[in-house]
Amino acid sequence: MRYRWLAVATSAALVASMAAGCGRDSGGGQEAAKDVAEGKASGEITVWAMGTEGEKLGEFAKAFTAENPDAKVSVTAVPWDSAGQKITSAIAAKATPDVSMIGTTMQGEIAKTGALDPTPTDLFQKDSFFPGAWDTTVVDDTAYGVPWYVETRGIFYRTDLAQKAGFPDGPKTWDDLKAMAKAMQTKAGAKWGVNLQPGKTGSWQSILPFGWSNGAEINSDDKYTFDTPQMTEALTYYQSFFSEKLSPTNLPEGALEPAFAKGEIGAFMSGPWHVGILNEQGVKGKFAVAPMPSKQSSTSFIGGSNIAVFKDAKNRDAAWKFLQWLSKPDVQAKWYQTVSDLPAVQSAWDDTALSGDPMLKVFGEQLKSAKAPPAFPTWTQLAATFDVEAEKVCVGGSDPAAALKAVQSQADSIGTGS
Amino acid sequence: MTRDRVAKLSLYAILCAGLLVVVGPFLWMLLSSFKPEADIRSVPPTWWPSTWTLDHYRDLFDRLDFPQYFANSAIVAVLVTAGNLLFCSLLGYALAKLDFPGRKALFLTVLGMLMVPGMVTFVPQFVLVSNLGLANTYAGLVLPFLAGPFGVFLMRQFLLAIPDDLIEAARVDGAGEWRIFWRVVLPLCKPALATLGILTFLSSWNNFLWPLVVATTDDKYTLPVALALYAIGQNRIYYGLLLAGAVVVVVPVLIVFLALQRHFMRGIATTGLK
Amino acid sequence: MTAALQERPPVLPKSDKTPRRRSRFVGWAFAAPFTVLFLVFALLPVMASLVMSVTDMRATDLRTPLAVNFVGLDNYTRLFSDDLFLRSAVNTLVFVVIGVPLTIVAALAAANGLNSGLIRFRAVFRVGFYLPVVTSIVAIAVIWRFLLDPEAGLVDNLLGLVGIDGPNWLGDTSTSLGSIIVMAAWRNFGSLMVIFLAALQSIPHDLYEAATLDGAGRWQQFRRITIPLMRPALLFGAVITGIGYLQLFEEPLVMTQGGPLSSTLSVSYHIYNQFGFGNYGYAAAASYVLFVAIVALSVMQFRLLGNRDD
Repeated sequence: MRYRWLAVATSAALVASMAAGCGRDSGGGQEAAKDVAEGKASGEITVWAMGTEGEKLGEFAKAFTAENPDAKVSVTAVPWDSAGQKITSAIAAKATPDVSMIGTTMQGEIAKTGALDPTPTDLFQKDSFFPGAWDTTVVDDTAYGVPWYVETRGIFYRTDLAQKAGFPDGPKTWDDLKAMAKAMQTKAGAKWGVNLQPGKTGSWQSILPFGWSNGAEINSDDKYTFDTPQMTEALTYYQSFFSEKLSPTNLPEGALEPAFAKGEIGAFMSGPWHVGILNEQGVKGKFAVAPMPSKQSSTSFIGGSNIAVFKDAKNRDAAWKFLQWLSKPDVQAKWYQTVSDLPAVQSAWDDTALSGDPMLKVFGEQLKSAKAPPAFPTWTQLAATFDVEAEKVCVGGSDPAAALKAVQSQADSIGTGS
Repeated sequence: MTRDRVAKLSLYAILCAGLLVVVGPFLWMLLSSFKPEADIRSVPPTWWPSTWTLDHYRDLFDRLDFPQYFANSAIVAVLVTAGNLLFCSLLGYALAKLDFPGRKALFLTVLGMLMVPGMVTFVPQFVLVSNLGLANTYAGLVLPFLAGPFGVFLMRQFLLAIPDDLIEAARVDGAGEWRIFWRVVLPLCKPALATLGILTFLSSWNNFLWPLVVATTDDKYTLPVALALYAIGQNRIYYGLLLAGAVVVVVPVLIVFLALQRHFMRGIATTGLK
Repeated sequence: MTAALQERPPVLPKSDKTPRRRSRFVGWAFAAPFTVLFLVFALLPVMASLVMSVTDMRATDLRTPLAVNFVGLDNYTRLFSDDLFLRSAVNTLVFVVIGVPLTIVAALAAANGLNSGLIRFRAVFRVGFYLPVVTSIVAIAVIWRFLLDPEAGLVDNLLGLVGIDGPNWLGDTSTSLGSIIVMAAWRNFGSLMVIFLAALQSIPHDLYEAATLDGAGRWQQFRRITIPLMRPALLFGAVITGIGYLQLFEEPLVMTQGGPLSSTLSVSYHIYNQFGFGNYGYAAAASYVLFVAIVALSVMQFRLLGNRDD
């Protein structure tokens, strides 16, 4: 009964405060991180992790509790589907765990709620991570959490078809990619030269790398900058694959891999997870990965996931110590062997399991320069706008400059949210 | 006579064709859950598995604590269903057959609630449940669904159609209100209760978002949440697991439906016709 | 069902000396358990979300929900200059205007088919036609995406057999919304069919016999007897389907993600996206605009299909 009245009172207070017209303090600015106490971790650390990571982390963390006998790691596996909803609801109700995995694209919004604890500088060195990955943790000049694992994009191509098309080592430049795609169709019998995502959800991850490779930046300081000549040129180049019928505009979900296996699609842009899928489809040994074709540079997209500690954590110090352990190079390499997550810590790549694999090597090189969009709280909304406009360009044939202008005007009207 | 026969045969033909259209996808789903992953995505799609495999089911049952999640789902669905049957029939009876101040306003409020999009109340509802200390409890999973406006609407409509004489006769015999409800009204409502029962069970059983958010440790997950854990990855979907999971989720619902369907049909019949 | 808004004189307990007082007490005693739960778990969140809709609350305010600005009806007015919202409103309208009648006609046809002197296997058909209703949307989506696939899909492969080059149903803006409509009708007609079947079964047989003697054909019987007597059931079906269809969400979410080119974006989907982007105040306002539309449609259906003497 007491609780019920509490709830009534809470919502009455909410109504009253609205009437009074309270406003938010427009905060922002750097936040100082507290140091973590010395010594071994102890007590229970509650962790949320998504999908496979959530499934495997509990067992994996036993090595940590062996080193810290007084600590206990309790992992809750969270489905990827609606994970964001779960985290934001928990923040609203102040019912967060100590630690959660956070997808890089959600970082800005979640950090901006003030729910995350700034990364203690005494435990983590920024330079040990891939720079693009580290940047995804930074909001308002403060790092919240650390990169856990990364992924990036490259060009998968059929080696036999590329041979026939005259590009036995895959494309190196923008011109190569275009020429190879054409030759795949004319000389190697492919129906489509290369598959690129024709707009729609997540297509910014494919398009922005072309912009970055062309010297474009999508933000400068605290502003989005989409309508630059470099980005326009990149989007025009990207569009040409569809207008010249080198890329399909309406490939159904799940059709890519079988078509690639049959040689109907000569190449496509994707991330490391596709190696496993292609091997299952029986294409093993018939494909290779090339880095993103370069214009001014070869710059890909860096994705993956961060892992962060909440301010309301009941066991803050132990939580950070757990994250410190997860960021050790040997632990990162072992984690790769457990779930195939690519290490976010650069020196972990010296491990033979990673350095010995030619395809991984391509991704490893690419990661050194790969970039991520800024961790602005409004990024997910802007990304959705970008995807809608990109679809108009790729499928509907609209003018790339106009599309980017539309994205920019949306960006100007909603701001960065910081 | 022959003309009638032709008509009958062609009707059968049309209905069977219709049956194929509605059942076909389920058959495909069932068969495909026994196919190897590559087979499921084969172009063009095949009906019959090239090789039968129980891998997806084995995978599901090995990786997830099936009895635990099944039990959670069943506990939640049964409690929600029982609660709705009781509370909605109580209020439905009051709204249809008893006079009290505020009756009409109460009915219109409940009816209006049926039309509020669920998404808008989601976060406030979770904040509330969490502040009541109910996060990660069965109570938190069940309580918000006990008072469903749909059930009230359905029960009220049904009860309106029950002749007053029966209730009146019981009153003349000196029966108390509770006794009348329990002994006279509820037995007459069996079909409506069966209808409400299956519909409530179905929506509770398939509910995904609420249990996902309310359960903060995975031992409180329900079946759909647990299945989503493995079938949908960050960058790919595991179709075999997804289909096997879908089959596993559907089976209990079908059993409940088959058990209740006789009552179910009659329930809607009476409500549908006032 | 005509009784939905119709009030019958309630039965007063006559044996009691102070009937009104006792009935008042009894009425609320029966209503209380539901009402308490309803007030706490349904009405409170609704109040909170109504307040939310007149603020500029964003997800970033979740930890400090009281520190937001009151913006009056600003969110509501902004909605009507939001191109995507307007687009989604048009899509939803098209979906409801075509989808509701289509679903009703399909259900009516199935119910009539099953009712036409067919006795054997009725249960099989009944359960069969009901299958889509009881199955999880995830499974339905997987299957339909495969069915409508232009390369691998059964539909286009069947069309190919008769020499027609089938379209990319879900990938083409001219067929995407239509495909969603058909799929929704397929998924939902089963429950309406059951209601209609029940309604049909309770129409007295002698009415048809008399009509046959008068020389009325089957179509005439259907129009003159069946339809009028089924009107309450039709109204029920229309209202419930209307409420559900105006909140169209799951089908486009799992089938098309609102695409291509926003051609299947529904109002509920747009609201879902806005919540996802963290625009809580704005999304709440959109939800209440949708609520008003649902109420309006329901009232309209009662006016159109309800009994005039109700």
